[in-house]
Amino acid sequence: MYTLHYAPDNASLIVRLVLDGAGIPYRTALVDRASRAQDGAAYRRLNPTGLIPTLETPDGPIAETGAILLWLADTHQLGPTASAPERPTFLQWLFFLSNTAHADLRQLFYPHQYAPADGIAAHFDILSARMLGHFRLLDAAIARHPRLFAAASPLGVYSVTLTRWAALYPEGGRRWLDLAAFPALHALARAQEARVETPVVARAEGLGPHPFTRPEAPNPPEGAVL
Amino acid sequence: MTAEITLYHTPDYASTIIRLALEELALPHTIAPLDPEAGDLASPAYRAVNPLGLMPAMMTPDGPIFETAAILLWLVHHTGRLGAGPTDPDRAAFLSWLFFTANTLHVTMMQLIHPHRAAGDAGIAAVEARAFAALNLQAGHLETLITTKAPRWLSAAEPGVLGYYLGILLRWPAMMPEDPALRFDLRPFPALKAVLAAHEARPAALRVAEMDELGPTPFTNPRF
Repeated sequence: MYTLHYAPDNASLIVRLVLDGAGIPYRTALVDRASRAQDGAAYRRLNPTGLIPTLETPDGPIAETGAILLWLADTHQLGPTASAPERPTFLQWLFFLSNTAHADLRQLFYPHQYAPADGIAAHFDILSARMLGHFRLLDAAIARHPRLFAAASPLGVYSVTLTRWAALYPEGGRRWLDLAAFPALHALARAQEARVETPVVARAEGLGPHPFTRPEAPNPPEGAVL
Repeated sequence: MTAEITLYHTPDYASTIIRLALEELALPHTIAPLDPEAGDLASPAYRAVNPLGLMPAMMTPDGPIFETAAILLWLVHHTGRLGAGPTDPDRAAFLSWLFFTANTLHVTMMQLIHPHRAAGDAGIAAVEARAFAALNLQAGHLETLITTKAPRWLSAAEPGVLGYYLGILLRWPAMMPEDPALRFDLRPFPALKAVLAAHEARPAALRVAEMDELGPTPFTNPRF
C-alpha cells in the first residue's frame, strides 16, 4: 500500500484528492511542520529537498507533486497512455501547472525567499499579474480539453487546488483572484466540490464545507499548514 | 511518424535542449527557425502552437507540445531511450528529479539570469544573490544524487535527457551574471561536472554545438 507523507492544505492535498477520487488505497503519514519534521533526517532520506508531498511506492519514494501525479496516471490509467494522441497535451499542461503556475504561486506565498524586503510590494504586483495570466491560459485549456481536466483527474485537481490557495495565501495578503471571472475553472471547482471524496478529504484536513468555491482558512484536526 | 517532428528553434534558447535530445535519438526532424527579436514568439501562428509564447515548442504527429520537460518526457516515452519509460521501475526517481529540475532548478536559474523579472529593477542585487545561493544548494542535491545513487538516467556512462537539460540550464548562469562572483561554477560539483562533460563530448552534442555555435565545451566551460 502507498504511504502519502502529507501536511494539511499542502501540495499533498492534490495527490490525496486524486488517490481518493480513483479509489486507490493508501495510508497517510503526517509531516509535522510545527516541529519542522520536513527538515528532519528521516524525511530528508525520503525526499532530499524536504518538500511535501512524498509518496512511498513499491518502486521507492516519489517526490514532487507533478511527478507523483504522472506516476499515478501511468500506473492506474488516470490519464492518456504514453502513446495516446492526447499525451502531448496532457504532459504540457501538467508541466505548466508544476513549473509555471505552481512555481509562481509558491513565490507569492514565500516572498521573503525571493525578493528583498523593499521589493516585496513590486514582487507581489508582478507575480499576481503573472498568475492571472496563467489562470486565463488554464481556463481556456479546461474549456478546450474538458476530459483531460475533469474533476478528480490529475490536471483538474491540480488546477482547482491552485485557485484555492490563491484565494487564501499568503494569509492577510491582498486578494487578487475572482474565480467567477474564469468560468471553466469556476465550473471545475463546483464539480470537484460535488465529488463524494471531497468532503471526506476536507474534513480530514479541516478545509471547511466549500474548499474550492468559497475557501476559508483551514482548521486541521492534526498537523500544521505552515 | 518520426519525419513529422518540427522543432521551433532559436540557437542557444531552451529549444537547444530538445535539439540535443533529437540529435542523440537520431530522430528525423525539421527545424523551424524563430527570431524572437523580430516578434516571432508573439505571432498568432506561434501562439496557436504555444499560447505562452515561449520556447520550446514542438510539432508531433499528435499535435503540438510545449514545456521543455514535457517534450523531453514525450520523447523518452516514444522511443524508450534517454530516460526511464512508463513501465521502468526506476521511473519514480527519474520523474521526481525531472520535475525538480523543471520547477525548481530551471526557475532558480531564470531568476539568476533575469533578476529584474522577480521584483523590478530595484530588487536585482538581492534577487541575484538569493538565486545564486539557491542554485548552488540545488546543484548540491544533484551532486549527492549522483554520488549516492548513481542513477543510469543521469550518468557519464550513457546519455539522457536530464543530462542535456542540466547542461543547458547550468550553461547560461555560468556566463550571464555581470558580477563574476555570481556566475555559477561547476567545480564544487565534480560528479555533476563529469556527467555534463560526458554529455557535451557525445557526437550528437558536438553536432548541435557546431550548428548552434555553442563552442567546444558548452556545458563545462561555456562561452557565447
